[in-house]
Amino acid sequence: MTALMRYQAAILFRSHRWVLPLISYALLISVAGVGGQESLGDALNWSAAMLLPVVALLTRSMLTAEPPAARACVAAAAGPRKAQVAVLLTGLAGGAVLALAGAAYDLATSGELAKMLHAHPGLLGTSLGDGLGKAVICVLVGSAVGTFCNPPVIRHQAVAVLSTIAAVLVALLSSISPASAALRGSGAAIQSASWPTGVPFLVAAILLVASWLVSASLAARRGS
Amino acid sequence: MRLDGVGKRYGLRQPWVVRDVCVEAAPGQLIRLEGRNGSGKSTLLRVAAGITVPTAGRVCGRPSTGYVPERFPSGLAFSARDYLIHMGRIHGLRGPAVRAEADRWLGRLGAADYAGAPLRTLSKGMCQKVAIAQALLPRPGLLVLDEAWTGLDQPARGTLDAAVAERLADGGTVMFVDHHQARLAGQVSQRWQLGGGEVRLLEGPGTASATAAEGGRPEATVVIELSGVDPESLPQLGRLTGVVGARLVPSKDLEVGTASADGPVLVEIVALKAASDSVLRELLNWDDVHVAEVRACGEPTGDAR
Repeated sequence: MTALMRYQAAILFRSHRWVLPLISYALLISVAGVGGQESLGDALNWSAAMLLPVVALLTRSMLTAEPPAARACVAAAAGPRKAQVAVLLTGLAGGAVLALAGAAYDLATSGELAKMLHAHPGLLGTSLGDGLGKAVICVLVGSAVGTFCNPPVIRHQAVAVLSTIAAVLVALLSSISPASAALRGSGAAIQSASWPTGVPFLVAAILLVASWLVSASLAARRGS
Repeated sequence: MRLDGVGKRYGLRQPWVVRDVCVEAAPGQLIRLEGRNGSGKSTLLRVAAGITVPTAGRVCGRPSTGYVPERFPSGLAFSARDYLIHMGRIHGLRGPAVRAEADRWLGRLGAADYAGAPLRTLSKGMCQKVAIAQALLPRPGLLVLDEAWTGLDQPARGTLDAAVAERLADGGTVMFVDHHQARLAGQVSQRWQLGGGEVRLLEGPGTASATAAEGGRPEATVVIELSGVDPESLPQLGRLTGVVGARLVPSKDLEVGTASADGPVLVEIVALKAASDSVLRELLNWDDVHVAEVRACGEPTGDAR
């Protein structure tokens, strides 16, 4: 799996398909501070939310990067399901890197940092943990959305792009989405009125596993 | 390895491409898949190589597999060497030996000068060489070649023929499809003939004429008789584009005196009628080779030229 992921990461970097997701994320998190001062918690919340569309986009980039003939050679060597999971895992790892970078940016640009470090160091840890927890859920849901709405599940390009956009909006705004529930949840634990503690994460993980299973089994059946 | 009741279709409402295929491939066997365009040769190769799972039945005992696709129009941004190193690692090879092997194969196939060039800048033939190198590099137990010879230059075709022989000698199984009927003809141990979704098993190499009699080759052919051919260049003759088969004419067929008049040996090659002009032109470049007669396939030998 390590060799497969190195190969996929090399494809991502050399094809410059990482540029668009990275720039979009940088733009999206930097516009949050434009309106004026906001708390560290709000900034982390916004950065987590913006991970969802960006990771969905990154997943789409990963799923469409490898030419079919090259994929066939890899599938013969490693098996078609494993080859597909390697693609998705590499996208997820990219999402995790973005999440950490986003949190670091928020910490660095927050005006409250020095004050909080001095007065309430415990509170700082809680906000950071809370923000990262939300980020993890958004990365998982973003990967699931990207996987469900792109090849090999949806192969038509226009349909894939439109359904990705629609699914991202639903995942961010609708009350049935674990990402939305986590983002709206207040306080230390990720919870909201309708979602008990831990459930958003659980649902996000289940969505991710389901989407990956469908994608891997379709990749094996269609033979890329 | 064994294909056990294997069937494949690409969707519930799609027709079966192949169905109820029960065949076995032993180590050291060279297997040729035959059939018209669209008969499911590539699909069966992909199922056997493990690239796609069968819709019905199963593939048992498949060893490590190297696959060469029909076309490798790579949009990858790797250099040829980096791509081969990645593929070597995916095949489970470790350490600096992978790089050495990658360079060795590129050298053998005559692509050493392009080892550092990005794949997307390479010609079709060069890309095909890289595709062949990635499949051969890990010395796979099963080598699957889907018209892998297409686009290769003459020396590289010879290298691929030799590499197939090496794999077989190593106890590997090789499966291939090629529209060139004489390809590896002497070494084929089994032929799988595809048609109407079914596979018929034919033992033995099968000569060009036998294939024609089975109706597997509907194109019209011509027989070209040559004199002055060095018998050792017979396989080379067989590889010419458009040539279906080449054989020495048994000495009893020869009239006394003919052999010594034009050269030591008389050779008969069967070529596609549509390609006969280019074959004859190509033969002009061969020193000491004289065309003795050209006739339509099936006609008796005539005295007139």
